[in-house]
Amino acid sequence: MTDTLPPVDRATGAGKRLVGQSVPRKEDLALLTGTARFIDDIRLPGMLYAKILRSTVAHARLRDVDVSKASEMPGVHGTLTGSDLLGKIKPWGDLMQDLLVGDHFPFATDKILYEGQEIAAVVAESKYQALDALEAIEVAYEELPVLVDPEAALAADAPLIQEGITYEFGEGNIFDRYRVRIGNAEQAEAEADVVVRQRFVSNRQAGAALDPHGCVASYDSFTGVLTIYSSTQSIFMVRDVLADTLQIPRNRVRVIVPEVGAGFGSKAQMFPYEVIASVLSMRLGRPVHLVLGRGEIFRSGTARNGQVRYAELMLKRDGTITGYRDYVVHNCGALSLWGNQVVHIGTNVGMLPYPIPNIRVDADIVHTNTAPGGPLRGFGIPQMIWAKEQLVDMAAEELGLDPLEVRAKNVVRPETFPYRTPMGQVIDSTSVYECLHASADAIGWKEKRAARVANEGVGLAVSMKYTSCRHPSFDTDLSAVRLRLETDGTVTIFSSDVSHGQSHATFLAQIVSDVLGVGFEKINLAQPDSATSPFGLGTFASRGAAVLGTACRQAAERLREKVVAIAAHVLEASPGDLETGNDRVHVKGLPDSGLYLENLAAYAAYRTHQLPPGFEPTLESVATYDTPTEREASDGSGNLSVTYSTAAHAAHVRVDPETGRVTVVDYAMVHDTGTVINPLVVEGQHQGGFLMGIGMALGEDYVYDAAGHLLNASFKDYQAPYATEVPELTNMREIPAPSQTIPGGQKGAGESGTGPVPAAIGNAVYDATGVRFTALPITPERMLLALKEKASQGVQTLRFPDDMHDFTGPRTYAEWPGPTSEGDEEGWLL
Amino acid sequence: VKAFTFHAPQALADAVTLLGQHGAEARPIAGGQSLLLAMKERAATPSVLVSLSGVADLRGWHQDGDGLHIGSGTTYAALAGSTFPTWQQEIATVAGNLADRPVRTMGTIGGALCQAEPRFDMPALALGLDATMALVSASGVRTLPASEFFRLEGGTVLQAGEILSRVSFPPAARFSGVAFEKFRVRVFDAALVSAVCAVRVGVPAEARLVVGGVRPTPVEVPGVAAELAADLDGADPAELGRRCADEVLPAAEATTSLARYQRELVAVVARDAVIRALATARS
Repeated sequence: MTDTLPPVDRATGAGKRLVGQSVPRKEDLALLTGTARFIDDIRLPGMLYAKILRSTVAHARLRDVDVSKASEMPGVHGTLTGSDLLGKIKPWGDLMQDLLVGDHFPFATDKILYEGQEIAAVVAESKYQALDALEAIEVAYEELPVLVDPEAALAADAPLIQEGITYEFGEGNIFDRYRVRIGNAEQAEAEADVVVRQRFVSNRQAGAALDPHGCVASYDSFTGVLTIYSSTQSIFMVRDVLADTLQIPRNRVRVIVPEVGAGFGSKAQMFPYEVIASVLSMRLGRPVHLVLGRGEIFRSGTARNGQVRYAELMLKRDGTITGYRDYVVHNCGALSLWGNQVVHIGTNVGMLPYPIPNIRVDADIVHTNTAPGGPLRGFGIPQMIWAKEQLVDMAAEELGLDPLEVRAKNVVRPETFPYRTPMGQVIDSTSVYECLHASADAIGWKEKRAARVANEGVGLAVSMKYTSCRHPSFDTDLSAVRLRLETDGTVTIFSSDVSHGQSHATFLAQIVSDVLGVGFEKINLAQPDSATSPFGLGTFASRGAAVLGTACRQAAERLREKVVAIAAHVLEASPGDLETGNDRVHVKGLPDSGLYLENLAAYAAYRTHQLPPGFEPTLESVATYDTPTEREASDGSGNLSVTYSTAAHAAHVRVDPETGRVTVVDYAMVHDTGTVINPLVVEGQHQGGFLMGIGMALGEDYVYDAAGHLLNASFKDYQAPYATEVPELTNMREIPAPSQTIPGGQKGAGESGTGPVPAAIGNAVYDATGVRFTALPITPERMLLALKEKASQGVQTLRFPDDMHDFTGPRTYAEWPGPTSEGDEEGWLL
Repeated sequence: VKAFTFHAPQALADAVTLLGQHGAEARPIAGGQSLLLAMKERAATPSVLVSLSGVADLRGWHQDGDGLHIGSGTTYAALAGSTFPTWQQEIATVAGNLADRPVRTMGTIGGALCQAEPRFDMPALALGLDATMALVSASGVRTLPASEFFRLEGGTVLQAGEILSRVSFPPAARFSGVAFEKFRVRVFDAALVSAVCAVRVGVPAEARLVVGGVRPTPVEVPGVAAELAADLDGADPAELGRRCADEVLPAAEATTSLARYQRELVAVVARDAVIRALATARS
């Protein structure tokens, strides 16, 4: 009998390394089976429901808020207004450096600054009773003139939005200023053969995370600990600002995240609802659920900052870019925690991939009576690329050059790395030149331009996106991981950086598996919890793979040293002769021998006499990685990101001349994401990034009327693309140039896919129709009206909206406004 | 949503009685694809809902000498999955190419007609195909042509206590070819502009043209339709489309960007409807 058994082909050794493999995501089972628990799924015993009354006007003096009737309504346990909290909690907005004002408060107290601002809250047995009671609250307003247009906010006689706050530049609607002074842009202009100039306007875009903003706060009066479950991207940002606002110790605030169904930058701060739920829970001693509705999220969540850019690009006859000048009016909405950072980072990094020697940028960062501005996938880079990459095409046309060749001539392509650009970025590796050509080839650039098809066109755009960021307001760029080898040989990863689509559970496990030799299936990521997770900044700025991944690699290496030390002692071997793999520590070349991690963990936990003399009996390791990035210098320069990812995109569009519909026929994306840990995950990130890019390009915008009412605050009316509007996204590839700074070579993936999309499509639309869109989005309505205008004017090319007959803004360079301050005086601070 | 009482009668007579008992507080609900959204936003706050989804008499259809009679509670999905003779198949095609799958599964033809949202497809189709509506109330049944069911200023003439029980499309012999065309930005969006063209070849020839999405209610374009009927063979669809735009949304009235756009679209969508209706009629 026994001799009939086939020989066993026993797998030996550590097996394939997992980094680089498309390992299926650990996250998917819960998501695909509907068992993942999001914020609105949290149910705690005795939980009450709170709802917020929001302003229906955009600018007003708040004369009175009367909650007396509401508090008598059935099921109501309490109400809360601004006057209840004045003097009892601290305004926020000034925790981080350079964000100098405490202009955030849970409710409007004396003035309403935008439609949707919080006025009062009710907490009741059910959310329906809470909503009923909101209707009984009486509010007296005195309406004020409304400012929607950011350029109008600069006028001397413009209504003042934030009153009683003295900004760095005095009282007014200018919240902050920003400038860049690199080289000599005036000299570059004088010496240029061609200067192209255009006013570009970019739109407001929603994060539109399907999982709503919300929280459940639960205060335990016995321990004095406030536990808050929140759908956030950063548990420590919420914890620190919330504790500071409530003026309670930070170790008495515990922030836990449930599954977070995306954020895109829109959940990267503490919001008023988190304070409201916390105060109500502390007051009543019961858990309080407060989850926002979609209309509330549109109106009071943060939306991508809109910009007006008066942008100029200077070139030599051969296409060499010699200078860039820009005056930016940056719309932060009524109040904004991150908004001014967006123009800093977006402009600095958005200058790439061109090492432009002469740069002058001035920005006025203004308030309007609109939704708070904030970070959104790309953090200012899509806005900058929208302007700059269209200028490149305009210059190429004027010079009679191929836009591909102009780009190829200018992209950063140093002979040696690292290379520092005039703007200060340290390029540690890049394949941008190869990516650019590969994307053009993938779309059939030369062939399609040679064989023209009516109403079809091709366009290019290229960007390099930060991986992590040392924000000017935030002199840190760190993440941390603690690993614990459990007593059964499994490994738990603790991290405070919230995975909300970035696949932390999967890619961190790939790293740990490779370093420690432990099976992928034995590794588990604990849910971020400020009581147990090591301190980290959170998940934003495409930093997960590079920053958190590096912390994880270091923690795994430290844990590996410990298990190898124990094994060496037990096996009486030299640590240098041992390696990890196959769930054990073994002598090199003998992967089926050695000691299982399970046994080694048991020595450290339960058989400590087996440990090497003096060995501290722990199988935990922790590592914090802070990137070697720089602070922004006073001239605007600096290496703000640890490394830079490339996105070279090429669009082929078709424009229907009868309906104005723009169809993206084909779209090629070639990226440099460095060493890709998980191609499946990175591909998904690029596709998702593209989706937000095409939404920005073709449909999404916050549409306000003159009174500051948001007219499209629902998914029915807000024109985000559905899956049916997205082209097949298989024309994509990676040309990896592994980062020299990050030990694993990886670069950020999350936001690369967004930046070039509006410009690539804009350039393709121009190629197809002769209409140069200078404002976003390119809706069918605008496209068709532009085509009709072009026909009626009998011109070959037309700018939308600049050349439309009813356009009222500045059409020519001579009419352009200038910065409100040139900022060249002595002692001018950023 | 505000608290409400939900009734689920099984017979049409019971539904009529319940609506009569509760008066203005009550609303009939079919698939709920418009009403529930309004209730969630508290834009509608009925205290009583009378569900029609359990009323078997309101579902399905039958064909007789007077035409195709479709119960108002018939879902889009049921219509989309069915086969009708000749041009009537366009009803199934329209029902299968609007909104999204959940809406088509729950939403009903009667619900759409009573909602009378000008951007919806069914009101334009009913008017374009000269359908008639049967309205049931405690005092009996009244029958109205679509042209009298929709009010020019928007909405319908449906009175409190009345239920739309049936929509009847003309018999197959009435038209030789019909076409519904529309333009929407996203696949699941309601139409920005829609147009219906129905023609009969023969003596007398007939043509109907309706444009939806532009006015508060779908509107007939009788002048252009008469011109088409007068010369089906010599028709210039592009010119007729432009004339539709002039008639429904004259340049002088197209003052906003959206209206100017819709004016351009009317010409295109109406033209396409004429072309396809004529092509079907000739085939």
